[in-house]
Amino acid sequence: MGGVVVKGRFPGRRRLRNLAGTAPALGSMTLLLLLSGLVGLSGFAMRNLAITEAHDASLLHVYLRDDATDDQVAALRARIEADHRVAGVGYTTKAQALARAQRRPGLPELVDATDSNPFPASLDVQVKQVSDVGAIDALVHDDAAVDPGYPTSYDQGAYQRIQQVMLGAAIAGAAFLLLLGFVALTVTANSIRSAIHARRDEVTIMQLVGAPRWMVRGPFVIEGALTGGFAGLAAGIVTLLISLALISAGSSSFAQVAPGVTVEVAIVAALLVFVVGIALGSGSSLFSLRKHLES
Amino acid sequence: MPGSVTFCELPSLVEFVGVTRSYGSRVAVEDIHLGLDPGELVFLVGPSGAGKTTLLKLINREIRPTCGEVWVDGLPAHQLSASKVADLRRRVGVVFQDYKLLPRLTALENVAFALQVTDLRISDEEARDRGLDALDAVGLGDRADAFPHQLSGGQQQRVAVARAVVSQPPLLIADEPTGNLDVETAWQITDLLEDIANFGTTVLVATHNVEIVKRMQRRVLTLVDGRLVRDQPAGRVGRLAWAAWS
Repeated sequence: MGGVVVKGRFPGRRRLRNLAGTAPALGSMTLLLLLSGLVGLSGFAMRNLAITEAHDASLLHVYLRDDATDDQVAALRARIEADHRVAGVGYTTKAQALARAQRRPGLPELVDATDSNPFPASLDVQVKQVSDVGAIDALVHDDAAVDPGYPTSYDQGAYQRIQQVMLGAAIAGAAFLLLLGFVALTVTANSIRSAIHARRDEVTIMQLVGAPRWMVRGPFVIEGALTGGFAGLAAGIVTLLISLALISAGSSSFAQVAPGVTVEVAIVAALLVFVVGIALGSGSSLFSLRKHLES
Repeated sequence: MPGSVTFCELPSLVEFVGVTRSYGSRVAVEDIHLGLDPGELVFLVGPSGAGKTTLLKLINREIRPTCGEVWVDGLPAHQLSASKVADLRRRVGVVFQDYKLLPRLTALENVAFALQVTDLRISDEEARDRGLDALDAVGLGDRADAFPHQLSGGQQQRVAVARAVVSQPPLLIADEPTGNLDVETAWQITDLLEDIANFGTTVLVATHNVEIVKRMQRRVLTLVDGRLVRDQPAGRVGRLAWAAWS
């Protein structure tokens, strides 16, 4: 639109009026985008946790008898390494097992309570597929070198239980995000509908004098994009600040609870929230325009 | 072909071919056949609810016919897609009974607004010059900077006429343009519309004003209950039976 009109009677007061009209949408979208950002980061952390768990679950510790001979251990190791389902085999001595146990919370007291070393030596078998861990366990279970009382670390169903929990959490998170998206879409669409209603005379006149559709709709799409952009910016900043606060306050324990959530990831999440805000604002504007703006 | 617009060379600027428009079970206009020639000033008369506004809306493609064809300056208004409607509306100037001026804009800005939204290539300077020319033509060159609320009803209607003709459309439609005006001002607006027609623009005026229709002795289309019951050529004074019902 040329300057005669634009420079004419569209003062700041009108923009303030528009801002007042979109304030509820702005607030709601900010809150919803913030929740989406935090849920997204939690989902990312859970995904990493699932990957870590899958890796841990495919590592099988085969505990050796204290009186097993070197030949028996070597024969067992050769038999395991020959299996095509196995990626690699490591060996942990009793002393290494003791040292590892002393690093785990609660175990040092147990270690100090006895003069002897209660932790057995083990062959640490990295299985290619977590689903094959049971088969490898069965393969070594009755070997002469293996401790008959506590042969392996295999816990049937443990990984499946973790997977089920993760799947449930993923479905719940996705449903929550969809719900948030729907609410944000509805709130912004209603805001744009109000804006159309407030400017219906102007819109009608523009349409009747033959203004192209993009010119009639453009300001509303821009308004939606700006609303979404502002909401996304605010939500992105808050998401980033919360993440940074948790990362710096929690340090090592946070890394265990939310593996992979680093400063870089938090920045990417904040940017994503901003972009999603713009897309959501523009999309809901277009949706509202299609529904409420007759040509 | 989807998305394309068919142009048709017709002898008339506006052509209605068997047009019917219904709102649910209510028929607003029925089986209308008519043609408007370039430079004609035509009055559309009839009692309230006869279908005058519906007919104007069909021309401006605010609504589509239920059946039949509406051609405007070679464009098929009856089958135009929403994205092509603006093309048609740039060929049709519209004047309303309630003026429909934007209250935040001055008279000049209202006129320039219509010019600039239809053609982005027009510079601010050109829009201002052409807007002032249009206001001069309707006798309001000295009120260019006045806001609508600072103008009388007649002056606002003049601004509306200037806005309708500033882009020089081949057709001007006016829906009860004198409905809110006193007798003297109504005559001034009618004279203005006649001048516009004399410059080659087809002007179609829907009105209840019997006096104006009688004295102007122009072509008169009479609608009653949605049907075109009379098409009286210019230069003849006919009976305006519909006036008894309105």
